[in-house]
Amino acid sequence: MTTDLFQLVLNGLLLGGVYALISIGLTLIFGVLEIINFAHGEFLMLAMYATFWLFQLYGVDPYLSIVIILPVFFLIGLSIQRITIQPVLNSPPLNQIFTTIGLSLILQNVALFFFKADYRTVKTSYSDLGLNFAGLIISFPRMVAFILAMGFIGALLIYLKTTYTGMAIRALAQERRASMLMGIDVYKTYRIAFGIGIACVGAAGSILMPIYFVFPTVGSLFVLIAFVVVILGGYNSLIGSLFGGLIIGIIEGFSGFFISPHLKEAVYFIIFIFILLFKPTGLLGRK
Amino acid sequence: MTHYGDVRALQNVSFRVEEGQVVSIIGSNGSGKSTTLNTISGVLRCSSGSILFNEEKIDQAFPHQIVDAGIVQVPEGRRLFPYMTVYENLKLGSFNSRGRKTLKESIQEVFGYFPILQERRNQIAGTLSGGEQQMLAIGRGLMAKPKLLMLDEPSLGLAPLVVEQVFETIKRINLQKITILLVEQDVFQALALANWAYVLENGSIMMEGGAEDLQNNPQVKEAYIGV
Amino acid sequence: MTAIEKEFPPKSKAISGMIGLALLAVIALPLFIKNEFYLDLIVMIFFWATLAGAWNILGGFAGQISLGHTAYFGIGAYTSTLLYLNFSLSPWIGMLAGVGLSVLVAFVVGYPCFRLSSHFFALATIAFAEVLRMLSAYWRGLTKGGLGLLVPFKPGFEYFMFNNKLAYAYIALTFMLLMIFVTWAIKRSRFGFYLISLREDQDGAESLGVNTHRCKTVALIISVVFTSVMGTFYAQYFQFIDPEICFSISLSIQLALLSIIGGLGTLLGPVMGAFLLTPIDVLLRGWLGGVFAGLNLIVYGAILIVAVMYFPIGVGGWLKIRWERLLRDRMVTPPIPLKMGMASSLLPSISPGGDKTDELPLLRVRSFGKHFGGLHAVRNLSFHINRGEIVGLIGPNGAGKTTIFNLISGFYSADSGEMEFQRERITGLAPPHKVCRKGIARTFQIVKPFNNMSLLENIMVGVFCRIKDPWESRKEALRIIDFVGLGRHQFSQASSLTIADRKRLELARALATKPDLLLLDEVVAGLTPKETTGLMSIIKSISARGVTVLMIEHVMKAVMTLSSRIIVIHHGEKIAEGTPAEVGENKAVIDAYLGKGFRRGK
Repeated sequence: MTTDLFQLVLNGLLLGGVYALISIGLTLIFGVLEIINFAHGEFLMLAMYATFWLFQLYGVDPYLSIVIILPVFFLIGLSIQRITIQPVLNSPPLNQIFTTIGLSLILQNVALFFFKADYRTVKTSYSDLGLNFAGLIISFPRMVAFILAMGFIGALLIYLKTTYTGMAIRALAQERRASMLMGIDVYKTYRIAFGIGIACVGAAGSILMPIYFVFPTVGSLFVLIAFVVVILGGYNSLIGSLFGGLIIGIIEGFSGFFISPHLKEAVYFIIFIFILLFKPTGLLGRK
Repeated sequence: MTHYGDVRALQNVSFRVEEGQVVSIIGSNGSGKSTTLNTISGVLRCSSGSILFNEEKIDQAFPHQIVDAGIVQVPEGRRLFPYMTVYENLKLGSFNSRGRKTLKESIQEVFGYFPILQERRNQIAGTLSGGEQQMLAIGRGLMAKPKLLMLDEPSLGLAPLVVEQVFETIKRINLQKITILLVEQDVFQALALANWAYVLENGSIMMEGGAEDLQNNPQVKEAYIGV
Repeated sequence: MTAIEKEFPPKSKAISGMIGLALLAVIALPLFIKNEFYLDLIVMIFFWATLAGAWNILGGFAGQISLGHTAYFGIGAYTSTLLYLNFSLSPWIGMLAGVGLSVLVAFVVGYPCFRLSSHFFALATIAFAEVLRMLSAYWRGLTKGGLGLLVPFKPGFEYFMFNNKLAYAYIALTFMLLMIFVTWAIKRSRFGFYLISLREDQDGAESLGVNTHRCKTVALIISVVFTSVMGTFYAQYFQFIDPEICFSISLSIQLALLSIIGGLGTLLGPVMGAFLLTPIDVLLRGWLGGVFAGLNLIVYGAILIVAVMYFPIGVGGWLKIRWERLLRDRMVTPPIPLKMGMASSLLPSISPGGDKTDELPLLRVRSFGKHFGGLHAVRNLSFHINRGEIVGLIGPNGAGKTTIFNLISGFYSADSGEMEFQRERITGLAPPHKVCRKGIARTFQIVKPFNNMSLLENIMVGVFCRIKDPWESRKEALRIIDFVGLGRHQFSQASSLTIADRKRLELARALATKPDLLLLDEVVAGLTPKETTGLMSIIKSISARGVTVLMIEHVMKAVMTLSSRIIVIHHGEKIAEGTPAEVGENKAVIDAYLGKGFRRGK
C-alpha cells in the first residue's frame, strides 16, 4: 500500500517539474507586465501540437524538437506581445483580461479547426520505459521531463540573475521608474519578458508530449493548474513557482491516492480559492 | 511647458546649464522641480518648448535614449531596486552601452566615493539606512557614466550630518568634470554648492541669480513660506 | 425654478412615444413568426439578452468582471431539474429554489472575493465555476455526471414545458423585459449612481459615503438571480443539461462579450449585443454545422480583441454619447443665480443655531502614530480644530500631511493615538464611508472625477449621502453646482473639464455630503493665480456658511491668506502652530523648509 502511495507521490513530483516550468512563465509575465495571461495554456497546446507534428511528419524526437520550439516560441511571444498586448498595457484591467481571453478563444478554436478534437499522442521507443529504483518504478519520460524542466528553470534563473537583460527584467518588475532612468528600454524589455514566458511554456509542451496527449482544449486543463501553482508559490516569486509546482505535483499524488483520482483537481482548486482569500501573497510572495 | 496628466505643471520654464557647472533649482513643494527633471529625462513629455543637449534636440526622445546621450537622473526618494543587492543595483546603473564597457572601473570609482557601499556590497538594498540608500542611488547614477547628472532632492529624509556628507560628495563629483543639475528643497545646501540657481514657484521661474546673491535675498524666503 | 422644470427637452414626449412603439413591436413580434427556426432564434435572442443584461449589472455598472457566472446558471439549471426529477416539484418552484441556492453560494463565495483586485477576482470566479463543473461531473449519484439529465417532456404550464415555442418566446421575453426594467430602475436610483461611482473610482466613492462592499454584493445578488432563472429556463427549453453545457467557461465569456459589444454599463447595450450576435451565431452554426466547429468562436475571439482595443464603449456606449449630446444641446436655459435662501441648504447637519465659537474643539487628535514598515510617517501627533476655523496644514515634502488626512478620513488606521470628532470617539472608524457619514469629507491630491458621469451626476453621488430621492438629489446638486460656479457645465462629461474646473468639481462633490469638517488636499495646486483666487473665494464662502476647513497646501500665498491658524508638520511631527505671521517667523519652520544653514546665511 505504501509503495503505491510513494509511487503516486513520486509520479506527481516528477510531473510537478513540468507544472513549475509552465507556471514560471506565467509568473514572469505577471511580475513584469502585470497582466494575467489567460491564453498561456493555449501556447502549451500549440507547442504540444508542434512537437506532435514534427514527430509525425519528420520523425523528430520530441526532446530534440525543443531546439526548434524554444526559439520559435520566443519569437511568437515577441510578436503577440507587440500586436495584442502592448496596446492595452495602459488600459483598464477589463481590456487586458479580455484581450488574452480573446486570444485564448482564437487559438483554441484554430487548433480545433485544423487539428480536430481527437486525442493525439507521441509514441517513441522509450515511451513505456521504466527504471527500477528501490522498488519504485520511475517512468523514463517523466524522469527526463523532470530533469529537463529543472534544467530550463535553472538556466532561466541564472539568466535573470547574471545577464544585463535578465537583470533588467527583474528590475522592471520591482521598480519601473528607476528602470527607465537607468537606460532600460521598457517596451523592449516587456516584449522579451513575454517572449521568454512563452518560450518556457513552449519547452514545457515538448517535454509534456511523451507523457500526455494533446487535444485542442488541453491548455485549459494545465493553465488552471498553473494558476494554482502561481498563487500558491506567490504571484511575484519565480522560486515560489518552482516550489509551488513541485508541491502541487505531490498533492496531486496524495489526493489521487486518498480521494478519487477524478476529484484531485477539485482539491487544488479549493486550495486556490483559500489562498486567494486568506493569504494572497502565497508562500514566497512579497506584498 | 509640461502637462502632468492634465495638470499644468510647468509654464514657460526656460533655463540653461553650462558645462561643468553646478546649477540648482529651488522652490517649495508642488512648484514643479521634479516635473522639470522628469521632462528632461523623457519620463514626461513637454507639450510645448524644446530641450537641447549639446545643441541637439532631445525633447522627443525616449527615456533610455536620454540616458544613452549622457543625462542621468538620481530620482527623488532614491527608487532603488529594493530586492537586489548593492552590487546588482550598481551593475544595473551601468546598463547603457557606455557604462557596460567600464563596469569594473566605475564600480571602483563609486566605492572610492562611498567606501561604505563596498562594505555592504552584498546587502539587499531595501535594508540599507537612508543615508546609505542615497549614496547607492548616486553611485548607481554615476555607473551610467553621465555627462550631466541630475539629482532630485538628495537631502530628503536624511539627517543633517548625512546631508553634509552627501553634498560634499556631489562637490567632488563635479570636480571630476561632471555637470550637475540639482533640485533641492534645502535652500542653504543648494545655494552653497551651486554656481547659479533658479527659483521655481507654482510652475514658473520666479527669479534667478548667482548663488551668493540669492543666499541673502529675502524674496527667496517669501517664495517658500509666503510671508 | 424653471430650469429644473425644463429638465427634459421638449422632444421627450416624442421619444417616449417611440419607445412605447418599439416595445409594442417587440412584444408583438413573436406572434408573426411562423417559421420554427426563426422562432427559436427569437427565443435565443431574448435568452441571451437577459443573461447578458444580468451580467452587465455586475460587470458593466459595478465594474466587477466575473468570468464564473456560468456557475449560477448551472446551479439554477440543476436545482430545478433535480427537484423536478426526484420530487416532481414544479420547475417554477424549482426555479425559485435555484435562485435561493445561487444567492446563498454567491454570498458565501462571491462576497469575500470582492477584496481581490480585478485580475485576481476574474481568476477566482473562473476557478470557482470550474470546481462546480468538476463536482457536477463526478458526483454521479446526484447528477448522473457526464451523462447529463433529461427532462422528460410533459406539456403544461405547471411543468414549465410547452408544445408551442411561442410560449417559451413570451416567457423569455418577460424575463428580458423584467431585466431591462430592473436595470432601468437601478440606473436612475441612488444605488445605480453608487455602482457607477465605485466602478470609476472606489476610493473616491468611499470618501463620499458609498458603502462599496455592500453595493457590490447587492449587484452580485441581482445579477445572480437572473442568471439562475435563465439556467432553469434553459433546462426547460432544451430539456437536456450536462456539466459541459451548464458550467462552461464559454458561456461566461459569451455573456461578457455580448455586453462589451453592446455597450458595458448601458441600459440596452447587452440587449443590442444579443440582437446583433445571436443571429450570426445561430446562422453560422446552422449553415456550417459541425465541420466548421469553433469557427464562430474564432470570430468571437477576434471581435473581443478588436473591441477592447478600439471600441471599448461598444455600440450602446456610442449611442449613449450621441444621446447625451442631444440632451446637452437642448439645455439653453441659464443656470439659476444663487439666491440667499438657497445657500441655507449648504449648512452642515448641525442645527443652524449652533454656536460658532463652541468651546470644545470639533476635531481632536491625540498622539497619532502611524508607521509603514520601519518608516514613521506620523509620530506622536496631537492637534485640534475648532468649529468654524480655516486651518492650514503645511510642511515640506514627505512630511506626512496626506497620511494625516488618510488617517482622519478612514483610509488608514492609526497604529496609536485617538481621535475625537464632535465629542465622539472615532479612532479607527473604517471603512471611509462611515467617516463621511459622520460629517467629515475630503478631496484628493490627484483629482479623480467619475469620468463617465456628467458633472451633475458626480455631485449627485455626494448629495446621495444625505438625500435618498433622486429628484431631490438632482435639485440639491444643481444648487451646489451654481454655488461653485460650474453651472454651464452641468451636463458635460467630467473627463472633458479643465483642471481648474475639475478641482471645483472635487470640492463640490465633497461639499455635497454636507460635512461639518472639510479636508482639502492641495486644492489650488497647479492653478493660475486667477483660478486660485476664484477657488479661494469659494472656500471663504464655504467657511462663512459654517463648514470647518482643514487644508493641506503648498501654495503659500493661498494658505497664509485664508487660514486663521497654521499647523506645521515635519518628519511626521508637529513642529509649530500659530497664526500665519507667527509661523512665518518661527525658527524651526524656516529650518525645515529652507535648511538649517539658511538663517545663518542671512
